[in-house]
Amino acid sequence: MNVKKALILVSLIILVLTLSAAFTSSALGHYPLPLSGVRWLASWYLYTTLNPQYPKFTAMSPEAVTAIVWDYRGLDTLFETAVFFLAIVGALALMRGISLKSLAESNETTTEGAGSGLSLISKTAAKLLTPLIIAVSASIALHGHLTPGGGFQGGSAAAVAPLLLLVIFSVYFLLRRGISEKPMLTLRTAGLLGIYLTALAVVFTGLVTGVNAYVFQNQPKFDAPVGIPAYLFNTLVSGSLFLFNLSEYLAVAGGFTLVFILLSIPEELVMSLIRGEEHE
Amino acid sequence: MRFAGKVLGVFILVFVTYVIYSGSTSLYDLTTGVAVALATALITANLVVREPHKLIQLQRLAWLTAYAVRYFFIDEVKAHVDVIKRILHPKMPINPGIVKIPYGVVSDYAMMTIANSITNTPGTVVVEVDPGEKAFYVHWINAVTTEPSDARSHVSEVFERFARRIFD
Repeated sequence: MNVKKALILVSLIILVLTLSAAFTSSALGHYPLPLSGVRWLASWYLYTTLNPQYPKFTAMSPEAVTAIVWDYRGLDTLFETAVFFLAIVGALALMRGISLKSLAESNETTTEGAGSGLSLISKTAAKLLTPLIIAVSASIALHGHLTPGGGFQGGSAAAVAPLLLLVIFSVYFLLRRGISEKPMLTLRTAGLLGIYLTALAVVFTGLVTGVNAYVFQNQPKFDAPVGIPAYLFNTLVSGSLFLFNLSEYLAVAGGFTLVFILLSIPEELVMSLIRGEEHE
Repeated sequence: MRFAGKVLGVFILVFVTYVIYSGSTSLYDLTTGVAVALATALITANLVVREPHKLIQLQRLAWLTAYAVRYFFIDEVKAHVDVIKRILHPKMPINPGIVKIPYGVVSDYAMMTIANSITNTPGTVVVEVDPGEKAFYVHWINAVTTEPSDARSHVSEVFERFARRIFD
């Protein structure tokens, strides 16, 4: 055993020394050094992301990454969101016919007793953590147009709260408190509706007022003079970016929670229900 | 009325967390903070709070502050120094064992405070809790005694004194 440990130690040292020697003598080829200064593309984004002096170019958000995600390449993000929710629709379709409500009712006696879930320490801590997780996740989402973060990041963080309760208590603990597939579907649908309405808001305005406008437009452009206000009561909301982040937050939090609940139903129950449906 | 008290308690907790995490007290953060805190409090009030009247007993907050200072600057430091000594000592003088330590507090939050205080100090870890018997099973790096009441005075008496005044 000690010979084996010594061999591992020696070979690790040889590996590190050989790699270091190879890198310093350029035996593995030359690596380009980072460019000094800012590249043309980066400076374009930095120059236009928040620049009220050029209102026809700017995204009116100091957070360039969010501006790129929801404005410069917003359509790309829309299709990413569509792919993600198509996956959730697939999960729902596979699990169709399973009534979570009846599952929760049939298990009423076996939940929340001393025997179910993790220890009382974990349960108490999870209860206290739930509102704190939601607070932090909402801050990540609603600050997305100002600091690093955004709707998807915030929504994923929010879904940790039901996940904790699900593991530490039981899936039935969530179901009996109304965190079941219907409300989560509603939350997800409300979020998606918000995204689509925001994406089409400027086009509708353009149609009504009779001027040119684009789908997914945020600030006014040269040939499309309408846009979503960047300021609300003198507070920077970056036009569509705030609305997209808020909607995506609700949609992702609802979507992830939905999948977590679906995945935690006992396999035997799901299989008996799915198979039963086929045979009859 | 009781529910309103519960909502207020969670509201304050969430609002303070939101503002501290956002790191700004601009109008935007205060407005969104109020909205988020209200929504969260309405959803989770019954889950988090059981006895809202304890919220207005401000001496509990004073005890919490005193405990935070004492715990992080005295108890944690003492435990760290002890474990560092054991690690650096050439003979590594450890005497590990799992001991039963009873607790006398009533509320879940007080119990959790004691358990997490024990676990968070190096050298002791709560491995199981028995709410029926009101006892922790604690893995102790230097189990000098297996007598429950003796072990309690070595490990958790200070934590329990504060936890009772904060939460019970």
